[in-house]
Amino acid sequence: MEAIGDGLLEALRLIGAGDGELFSIAGRSLLVSGAATALALLAGAPLGYLLGRARFPARTLILAAVGTGMGMPPVVAGLVIWLLLVRSGPFGGFELIYTKQAMVVAQFLIATPLVIAFTAASIQALPARLPDLLTVLGAGRLRTLWLLAREARLGLLAAVMAGFGAVVSEVGASMAVGGNLAGDTRVLTTAIVTETSRADTERAIAYGLVLLAMAFAIVAVLTLVQQRGAR
Amino acid sequence: MEARLEGVRFAYGERPVLDVPELRFAGGRVTALLGPNGSGKSTILRLLAGLERPAAGRVLVGGKDAPAARASVAYAFQEAVFLSGSLRANLDLALRLRRLPSAERRARLAETAAACGVAHLLDRPAGRLSGGEAQRANLARALALRAPLTLLDEPLAGFDERGRARMLAELPALLRRFAGTVALVTHDREEALRLAADLVVLREGRVRAAGPGREVFANPPDPETAAVLGYALIPAGDGLAGVAPGALRPGPGDVTFALDVEEVADLVTRVEVAGRIGGRRVTVGLPPGAPLPAPGERLTVGAPAAMAVSFPDQAPATVDSPARASVA
Repeated sequence: MEAIGDGLLEALRLIGAGDGELFSIAGRSLLVSGAATALALLAGAPLGYLLGRARFPARTLILAAVGTGMGMPPVVAGLVIWLLLVRSGPFGGFELIYTKQAMVVAQFLIATPLVIAFTAASIQALPARLPDLLTVLGAGRLRTLWLLAREARLGLLAAVMAGFGAVVSEVGASMAVGGNLAGDTRVLTTAIVTETSRADTERAIAYGLVLLAMAFAIVAVLTLVQQRGAR
Repeated sequence: MEARLEGVRFAYGERPVLDVPELRFAGGRVTALLGPNGSGKSTILRLLAGLERPAAGRVLVGGKDAPAARASVAYAFQEAVFLSGSLRANLDLALRLRRLPSAERRARLAETAAACGVAHLLDRPAGRLSGGEAQRANLARALALRAPLTLLDEPLAGFDERGRARMLAELPALLRRFAGTVALVTHDREEALRLAADLVVLREGRVRAAGPGREVFANPPDPETAAVLGYALIPAGDGLAGVAPGALRPGPGDVTFALDVEEVADLVTRVEVAGRIGGRRVTVGLPPGAPLPAPGERLTVGAPAAMAVSFPDQAPATVDSPARASVA
């Protein structure tokens, strides 16, 4: 218990003192996970929209595959991307392995099924006649899309929260494709693993607190926006 | 604005839904599409709104192919659907999407909301309106557009009995004031005759009769159409006799039948007598004060010749009829 108490105090001191390494790692986490979530939203929201609206024979199969993707262990996503990006792999020539870009790709793979599934569910929950109504009223395709997205905003924000929450807290994929290189690809989760293995409890706790605070702040802002829209 | 279907065939997947060689909605008139569920009524509205494309043939609204004429069409769906936000925001969005300037939007919104009885609901969240309020708001949104062609799908669905009676009384004036040509879907004969000048009877995706309401009602071409129009179909000789709803009365008439009484229901303002004529179940309404027959009794009922039609070559068993008549 004493170690935990000391660790917490030291962690708060590091945060209070604006420890350079801590904040640089936190910034990297935010950058990598933010980029992965943004890309997942760009790719996953339209796919989710299609799956929510369109009816075609393979739809259920695709939804099942997306559901499976939601439960994919991050380390497996990391392994897949590692196999693709490693020097001997099909995309090895791009020399992306052990870079932040590789981490973004791996996290994108983790977040996208979540974004697709949440978007599809929120679009499917809209009244079936709504797109017809907007079409008859004269809304063009883009306007219809925008108005439907606005109607489904609670679900879409939940998609962003779920996607960001999943990738900012994962460790397996970042470790596998980023390599946890100090000052380069080390993010908060991989740093916690490193400091724990070094028995540097204070730093590990400090990283953990910052990770929690960061996730909380972002999700709190999104929740605020979401709940204001719900009124 | 006139609308027409020419040689239209339409199917949902492999299931044929509509086969209409020709159907015309006369400009400035109200036409009711009457038919049982699945007869293709709502599909015709969706084709006119350009929401569906026919597999064959053409759907013309004011001479243009339907999807190109959407700006001339207003459509109130059976299910009142709104975006989140107030009713005012919903009505305003509809007018904004038609690119109307803000002053005209405000004026139209106020005028139509007042006429449709929803002015006091404008600042309420549209999603929290009651069934009847939502239907009025749905109608107001369509009428606010002042479209040359207005499509109404079951405009009286969702009302309670009192609200429906009120709306039924108000609707003709609202349509005269705010709508041009109107096509409305209903499966209620009385509603169709009250609201529309022209009647189109549909069954299994085909037009069985079309024309001025009174004419269509008086001359059903076949027993199926007669059944849709509420005629009681009664075996007569080798065929069927159709008796217009409300035409059967106790006692002999130009056409007379013997009704074997099975049940008698005293509904205070009228009496309903259910029984069989030649094996077909028929319900006859008696005026209040009429002597009550007892179950098992044989009652003579008749109708004037002008209210009866004959289908001499129809095998009685092949026609599905509600076989309901009343004297009320």
